[in-house]
This record gives sequence, structure tokens and C-alpha cells, in this order.
Amino acid sequence: MAGAVVEEGAAVVAGAECMNGSTFADKVGLGWRPDLAAGILSHLERIDLLEIIADDFFSAPQRHVRALQTLSSQVPVALHGVSLGLASSVSVETKRLDKMARLVDQVRPQFWSEHLAFVRGGGAEIGHLAAPPRTADTVEGAVENLSRAAALIGSNPVMENIATLIDPPGSTLYEVVWISRILAGAECDLLLDLHNVYANGINHGYDPVAFLRHLPAARIKAIHIAGGKFISAPDGRPRLLDDHLHDVPDPVFVLLEEAAALTPNPLTVILERDGAYPSMDCLLAQIEQARQALTRGRARLVAQEVPA
Amino acid sequence: MSAREFEAFLARIYLDASARAAFKANPQGEALRAGLSKEECAALREMDWVSLEMAARSFANKRRSKPLRSRPRTFISRARQVATVLWHRIRSGG
Repeated sequence: MAGAVVEEGAAVVAGAECMNGSTFADKVGLGWRPDLAAGILSHLERIDLLEIIADDFFSAPQRHVRALQTLSSQVPVALHGVSLGLASSVSVETKRLDKMARLVDQVRPQFWSEHLAFVRGGGAEIGHLAAPPRTADTVEGAVENLSRAAALIGSNPVMENIATLIDPPGSTLYEVVWISRILAGAECDLLLDLHNVYANGINHGYDPVAFLRHLPAARIKAIHIAGGKFISAPDGRPRLLDDHLHDVPDPVFVLLEEAAALTPNPLTVILERDGAYPSMDCLLAQIEQARQALTRGRARLVAQEVPA
Repeated sequence: MSAREFEAFLARIYLDASARAAFKANPQGEALRAGLSKEECAALREMDWVSLEMAARSFANKRRSKPLRSRPRTFISRARQVATVLWHRIRSGG
């Protein structure tokens, strides 16, 4: 068994000093992308954590894994999987879990994460994260897959909500209920992707803030922020595409403040950018905006807890 | 009714334009062939097919761009590049 997730505490803490003097051990980091390497490594003092795409290293030569180990000795890292397809009524293959287990053992990340998505079915690889029907069957399947993953890898994954253009057919549960049941059943924490909540809110007509308030706040451990773009549609109703190719829009920072005001947990916030890279200064400015949103939210949380 | 078969059918229509066209032309026949129930067939008929086409296009774009994302060799070459930049910076006292 590979139980190798490092306890938090050794990391640089992005302290949000609050009115009562307490400090939330929040961190703000960035998704590691090879194209950003130079900028990241020369600004590590402003980046608390790096999120690595685990799948990029599953079949990589050992020297690349050693390079990743060297990186993780300099800065805390989290491993992020994209292809296990754990939210499915179909059992995840052991060989896929083994790859994650090996990498977790080698890199010893702060935590590892995956998506509440299915990525294949009936022998067909979708090639990306797709929303399964939100039913009791997929809740049960996901809980079983997550339990197997935790047993084999040695720690529970932190599970991310996904963006979807399609309201999955055959669903009998609201998204927030479906997510909450899986997290409770598998005793997993949530990687709350705020741009996904924002995009789904627009595309499926719900209030993102109300969505956040219905989530189990005590399970929110990490947060993704990103940007996307509106795309036109033949029916005349534009959709928001979560493409990670644009700057984080203001409403996502508003949601970040809300999330920070909801949960007392230390939060790890990760800025995701997958291409059309802006300058490093622009990315660092978004990291700073995230810290400010966290500080505002934490101040609200403390004000709620300590009435004047 | 099987959740597994329903997921498999969804994966197929997410991927394959001809599978989407076949279902639209003959929903009950295609559903029966895939082992789906009447309820599942109805759920598929009622889904937002404009969004489905957009999602299918987005999945296809992701599949095309994936090889660009997985380039472990780049990790090493970038690290070397960074080491060189840092070395020059240290030497120049910057």
C-alpha cells in the first residue's frame, strides 16, 4: 500500500490574519505547466503550492519522475488525476489505480485529487471529463470506486465537481445532492471548482451562491479557479465553456470569497491555466486577487462566529 | 434497465456523430438495440441536443489537444532552461 500523502504544515502558509488574531492556514498556488516552468520557478516565494497533472507522469521515464520529486522537495505539490473516471457505475480498473498509487508513493504530495466524472463506457474513451447521470446507481458506483482507490492508494482523493454543457439525461438527483451523497458515502473532501460552478450555473440556470450554500462546507478542502469563454449556440442561448484559456472573471473571485466565508477549513486555492498563457505578472496578479478574496471571506467568517 | 449500459450508450453518443444521428432517426430502435429501458430512451429524447452537439465538439477538441498537454520531455527541457536562466542570474548578481 502506498499511503504517502504528506501531512500539511510544512508548507508555506498564505496566512489570512483575521480580526480575532487567528490565522487560517490558506494557501494559493498554481497548476504546473511546462510552458510556465521558468516563471513559476523564479517566483516560488509567491506560490504556495503547485498542482501537477498526475497522468502526465504515469508512463513517463523514471528521470522525469525524479525531476518531479526534486520539484516537490522545493515546493509543496498536489497530484491531480484526470482519467480514472471514478464517478461511474462501472468499476475502475486496478491497473489505473496502481499507476496513481505508484506516483503518490514516489512524489508524496500534500493530497491527490480526481474528478466526479466518467470518462469511458462500453469500451469507448470519451477523452475528457463527462457528467454521468446523477442517480443512486452512480452514487453507489462512485462510492465503491472511491473506497477502492483509497484502499489501494492509501489516502482518500479530494474530489472535484466538473463543468458540463449537458444536463446529464436520466438524472434523478440535483447536482449538489449527488455530490454531497458521494462525498458523505466515501468520506472524501471536495475540490470545489468555482469556475465549474459558475459555468454550470449559467448553462443550467441556477444560482451559484445558493449552490455553494447547499454543499457540505466542512468537506471543502481545495478550490480551483479558472476562466472560460462564452460560445454562441444555434438556439441563440450562449453557453459558458470552461476552457482554462482565459483570466479568472470577477464572479469567480466573488464565489471564492463566499466559499472562504462558509468553511472554517484551511483552503488550498489553485489557479488553473491550460494555454493562451499571459505574462507571469498577470498570473501572479490573479493569485494575489485570490488571496484578497480569501481574506475578505475569512473576515466575514470570523465576524459571523464572534458577534460584536 | 442497467446503469452500465446507459453510461456506455452516453459515451457513444458523446463521441460519435453517426450514433447521435442514428438515435435521432430511430430512438426506440437504437435504445432497444443498446438494451435501454423505455424511461432511458425517453430521457435521451428529452435531453438538450443543442448542448449535446456543443459538448461533443468540446470533447473532440480536447482529444485533439491532449497530445500537446502530455509532453514529459518538455518538463526536462524546461527545467534545464530554467536552471540556465537562474545560473546566469546568480553569476550576474541579479
